[in-house]
Amino acid sequence: MHGGDVHPVEQRDGERPIERRPRPGRLGRPGRPGRLARASPLALAATPLLALVLVVAVLLVVDPVRAVTGTVPVESLAVERVVLEPGRIELRVRNDGRTDVTLAQVQVNGAYWQHTTDEPRLGRLGGTRVVLDYPWERGVPLRIALVTGTGVVVDHEIDNPRETLRPSGETARRLAVLGLLIAPVPIAIGLAWLPAVRRSRPAWFDAAMAFTVGLLAFLVVDSAAEGLDAAGEAPGVLDGVGLFAVGALGSVAVLAAAGDAGRGTVRMPGHGDTAVRLAVLVAVGIGLHNFGEGLAVGAAISTGEVALGTALVVAFTLHNATEGLAIAGPLGGAASASPGPGVRGARRSRAWVVGALAGLIAISGLPVVGGLWLGGLVLPAGWAALAFGVAAGAVAQVAWAVARWLHGRGAALTPLNAGAFVAAVVAMYLTGVLAG
Amino acid sequence: MRRRTFLARLGAGALGGVGTAAMARKRPQAAAPAGPAGGDAHRGGHDGMGTVGRVDHARNGFDPHRILEDFDTGTVSRDRQGRVVHEYEIVTFPKDIEVAPGVVYPAWTYDGRVPGPTIRVTEGDRVRIRFVNGSAHPHTMHFHGFHAAGMDGVPGAGEVEPGASFTYDFVAEPYGTHLYHCHSLPLREHLARGLYGAFIVDPAGGRPEAHEMVMVMNAFDTDFDGENEVYAANTVAFAYDVDPVPLHAGELQRLHVVNVTEHDPLNSIHLHATFFRLFRTGTSLEPHEVTDVVTMGQAERHMLEFTYREPGRYMFHAHQTEFSELGWTGIFEVS
Repeated sequence: MHGGDVHPVEQRDGERPIERRPRPGRLGRPGRPGRLARASPLALAATPLLALVLVVAVLLVVDPVRAVTGTVPVESLAVERVVLEPGRIELRVRNDGRTDVTLAQVQVNGAYWQHTTDEPRLGRLGGTRVVLDYPWERGVPLRIALVTGTGVVVDHEIDNPRETLRPSGETARRLAVLGLLIAPVPIAIGLAWLPAVRRSRPAWFDAAMAFTVGLLAFLVVDSAAEGLDAAGEAPGVLDGVGLFAVGALGSVAVLAAAGDAGRGTVRMPGHGDTAVRLAVLVAVGIGLHNFGEGLAVGAAISTGEVALGTALVVAFTLHNATEGLAIAGPLGGAASASPGPGVRGARRSRAWVVGALAGLIAISGLPVVGGLWLGGLVLPAGWAALAFGVAAGAVAQVAWAVARWLHGRGAALTPLNAGAFVAAVVAMYLTGVLAG
Repeated sequence: MRRRTFLARLGAGALGGVGTAAMARKRPQAAAPAGPAGGDAHRGGHDGMGTVGRVDHARNGFDPHRILEDFDTGTVSRDRQGRVVHEYEIVTFPKDIEVAPGVVYPAWTYDGRVPGPTIRVTEGDRVRIRFVNGSAHPHTMHFHGFHAAGMDGVPGAGEVEPGASFTYDFVAEPYGTHLYHCHSLPLREHLARGLYGAFIVDPAGGRPEAHEMVMVMNAFDTDFDGENEVYAANTVAFAYDVDPVPLHAGELQRLHVVNVTEHDPLNSIHLHATFFRLFRTGTSLEPHEVTDVVTMGQAERHMLEFTYREPGRYMFHAHQTEFSELGWTGIFEVS
């Protein structure tokens, strides 16, 4: 861009006096004020938009890509959701390709099977329900093949078919109980380490914080892996990796801005308010992660991809108790670091403390219930990519904030702190292996 | 330019001429089949199994039910030596065909149909086929039977370039149920796309009077991944299941079965509630065995003779059950 014609009025403080007269632009007529100078910024911003619309229109009409490749884009269908009832299979199918698709026939386990659809001709992003009467058996894998009008075959496998959860009060209640058992309860148990942390010497408190950072670091990696995994299951048109990126980068930006806004307080180490603020931040990060976890587990339960056994629930419980300990870390500092007048937490009423702890448990644990409901009853699996993206970004931001705060306290990277960090990562890994 | 005018001529000329002449030789219909051409309600009691909808045979330009009894003897005359001469003009061109309801396959065809015309002559007759290539690829007609090396219909001997033609000229021997197919390279592709047909040579002394049918067992790999999505006899999945084949009890049935299935090593035919006399390759007047199922490799073909004793609905299908549930199953409606 050349300043001459785009910004006829140049103004640089300290370099030269303000020029009132426009300099003659290279393309403008000398001596006359440029029309651009008088145009409103809104109109100027709209011009490139109009040009873009024009180019897109030309691309759509002329279709130069077709002229180069000479082929029609390949048809694509995505099975977004499967609803299994005794003797009946229902598929929610969406055209996630770049061309119209006709769903001509359906095969189940290598045999053509009669089906009904709401609408076999699917425009781009168009969806339909496909219903088959089929004597499927619990636990016996189903291979479903959708055959399009041009003979393209879209395979969908249901590894471990079981009756789909029906959205009912009873189902919601059962999912809620499951959610409470695997997140808020173990987190509360983990928080029960708080008195121990409070009474420990400052060095041990620093170690607890390092433990928290380690746990959060692990959750960042875990969220990213889970999110990219879910991205693979998202319909092509949703662009799962893109969804993940939007979630991750978006939450980093939002939380960083929020952190900046409250910078003044965050930089006061040992202050009771800071401790609570940090604990809330950690709880929010863990809560977002647990929401994504709930979504993924809910979707897996509803599509019969996991057999949710007792072992898995036990593993989740251990996993999440570690998360409670991580929240206890910053709170412990409220008492131990500076026993001065700033320690408001110590002087609060018992009811206030209990309420605050309950709030932290709710923030970090309850999202798992929402995730289970959404994933188990409503959302296609692919949306977990967005949720995990948000979690990865948020947890990374929180880990960074806690680490910075620890650094601000003057806590060095002692063997004890490093050991606590590694211990957290290993603990999360081991409990994760149990769950895997 | 030459090819374009030629292709324009194809639709009406070649197809109509050869086709209708061939259709003339149909068996006399003794009685109408029981019931109308059945929809799904008429299917052989396999709950839920099968395709949805119906194939538009008119748009395909051929109907498996007509192919079943469509024996093409060509234009018959005698040469100077007094030998019977069957003359044909067969054109190859690509055509999209509906192989299962709503599933369109980009086939390569002889005369716009898959399988190609069933060429039927008598042992010792002379066969002259003017073969015209209206497609973008070289093609041949390679006959299973005796002929000179130059008439073999392989690359280097009777392969026809796009827009060109060649006349295959040979004396039909031996009698039996045979086949022809394209032998251009890549061979697997040229067969899989639909370039094949039955070639039936009757013994000079004839055979006992019978109701004759031809079934070419074929398959289509609609997504080109090396595995078939559709199996059938005479191309259209479940065609004889949706609309059963009408037969008469007590009537001798003679069924010529040719296997051209690509991508699978074997195919088979099994008849329900009866046994058939098996004439392997049709090259004998005496049956080789009596059975109710016969399994064939690619290009193997047999002649089956059987009679239904009682009226009723009788299934026939590949006894690779996988193939039967992907389209290769049908019903004889015996009245």
